[in-house]
Amino acid sequence: MDRPKIPVDLILAKLAADAEAAKHRLERARDIFLGPLATDIGTTPYELVYQEDRVRLKYYRPDAARLKTPLLLVHSLFNRETLLDLQPGRSVVHNLLKEGVEVYLIEWGSPSRRDQFLTLDDHLNGYLDDIVEFIRRRHGVPKVNLLGVCLGGTFAVIYAALHPEKIRNLIATAAPAHFNTPKGLLHIWLQKIDVDRLVNTFGNLPGSLVNAAFLLLNPPRLLLDKYLGFLEHMDDKNFVENFIRMEKWIFDSPDVPGETVRQVIKDLYQENLLVQGKLSLGGRRVDLRRVTMPLLNIYGQFDHLVPPEACEVLAGKVGSRDTENVCLDTGHVGIYVSSRFQKETIPKIAAWLLAREG
Amino acid sequence: MDQENSGQTASEPLLAAWIKWTMDFWDTMAQMGPGLAGAGRSGGQASRETALPADPWPAALNLWQAFFSLLTEPGTVAAVFQGIQAPPKIILKMAQAGWGGYFQLHQQWLKGWQGDGSPSGEHGYEHLDQDIFKACHEIFEHDFRRLLNLPHLCLTSLPQERVNRATEKFNRFQAAMAEFIDLLYLPVKKSLRAMGTEWVNGGGGPLPEDFKGYYKRWLKILEGHYMTIFQSAEYIRTLTHTLHALEDFTRAKQELLSEAMAALGLPTRREMDDLYREIYLLKKSVKRMARKLDPTEPSQEEG
Repeated sequence: MDRPKIPVDLILAKLAADAEAAKHRLERARDIFLGPLATDIGTTPYELVYQEDRVRLKYYRPDAARLKTPLLLVHSLFNRETLLDLQPGRSVVHNLLKEGVEVYLIEWGSPSRRDQFLTLDDHLNGYLDDIVEFIRRRHGVPKVNLLGVCLGGTFAVIYAALHPEKIRNLIATAAPAHFNTPKGLLHIWLQKIDVDRLVNTFGNLPGSLVNAAFLLLNPPRLLLDKYLGFLEHMDDKNFVENFIRMEKWIFDSPDVPGETVRQVIKDLYQENLLVQGKLSLGGRRVDLRRVTMPLLNIYGQFDHLVPPEACEVLAGKVGSRDTENVCLDTGHVGIYVSSRFQKETIPKIAAWLLAREG
Repeated sequence: MDQENSGQTASEPLLAAWIKWTMDFWDTMAQMGPGLAGAGRSGGQASRETALPADPWPAALNLWQAFFSLLTEPGTVAAVFQGIQAPPKIILKMAQAGWGGYFQLHQQWLKGWQGDGSPSGEHGYEHLDQDIFKACHEIFEHDFRRLLNLPHLCLTSLPQERVNRATEKFNRFQAAMAEFIDLLYLPVKKSLRAMGTEWVNGGGGPLPEDFKGYYKRWLKILEGHYMTIFQSAEYIRTLTHTLHALEDFTRAKQELLSEAMAALGLPTRREMDDLYREIYLLKKSVKRMARKLDPTEPSQEEG
């Protein structure tokens, strides 16, 4: 039986050509690396309007506001809110401003050991509720629009269920609601983790452990292929700047308050209490049927962190009749930084909010 | 002195015999590796698993051979035993324990390598051969750990115990980490083997004409193996074990540091945590009272 022959001569010839190209690339890259690089993140101008302990509130003013109701963005506690303002031209915040939306963004800050006892209740019925109250008073509006990112989306859903009278519209992006799914690796691993042991040892969940866990979700892509891709494009200044911005964001995960981690892993990931209507916060049951405001639920088809199965059930569990699921053909971070999200989904969000101004 | 000398003369021939036997073994293995690889490429009967172009066997075997050649030099053996005479008996005991452990480990390696070199099969991750790590664990449990847990006496006994406990937990964490990293490396080995098989068999389709094509193909296989291993019970067990070892070491380290901080008159971690808890509870009480006093605040009781 004839076997196909490996074209060794052709491969070697191409390798030689690649090596020559790499040499020239390296020469051009040297100039880029030694020259000035714009790698700052979170550069859209903002005003700090509120602070409570480590938590701060950023206000972004549009040139011309089209909506009366401001939009509050709630990011996850497990990484930084700068994802939403990562690079010029691909900034969720900047593009929302272009659509005439007044934006508030919560910066959860860097928890220290003094924050280890803060619970989910302290974050939602404490900090988040205080911020919503502040915005309502500042704008003289009875309700605000709420957009949650990843676990921040889950927080937004829980908050909306506890305080429906304060929320006009709810947008959940890559927000897990159903945690008992075998599709996401994180969901599988967290089922077995002894969270009491973890929190009792460390106090806060170290950001370095969070970083390592994210890298372990796909080592070939995140530890190898990504950097080979970088080597291939290191003579492109724009690419290098954006790559470094993303690296800055990825490896800047803050520590997470221990008691909140304990509750998130036990009550959400392990017991899956939210969709069963059994989650309690501050002595009050979180009933998703109380989410009666319009809901826009956006998630990624190829999200390995929060799979579609974890997100799509939400629309069927809430009490609202005005719900819409939007499944984008992208991954987790792609929802916020992909050009399609920037070009199509953000205008859609703005139009959706405008149609529901009331 | 005579006793020590007689002990030395009794050990030397045994060691020399063992080294010679090991040398012979590696010599055979080194000869087998390239021969089989060549046979595989020429379509012979040899196992394709040993015929991988990226097989690191020849280099590793040469290294081992060189190492053992050095050991057989009479001067080296004499120097080893000369060195052993000098330290106190406790060190000698530790060295003997280590040597015994290494011998046991070597036996485990041999047992593993006498198999097909692929203990868990091509795609399964449920029953990995953990003999090496079991052997390491046993050496530690049977020899070193007992030394670290020797009872301490008098005034400095508690700090000494803490130092030993931290050392023990650190070693356990290192062992667990090594096992975890070995497990993480397994998909790389398997994917390289799968690529080698594809090269030999032709892969059932047209072969890429540039290196990137092979790289992309390998990456896809590698990702597949990682996704399989990450969902296996073995991976979750190893991950949990490593995390527990890290937690144990962190706790032991904290206890040790607390001891030092207390001695220096500095507030310890536990004292600071107690203080933080009190501040947290106080702030919460104050906030609750402030809310009760604020007439614009709605009642939180509903729901």
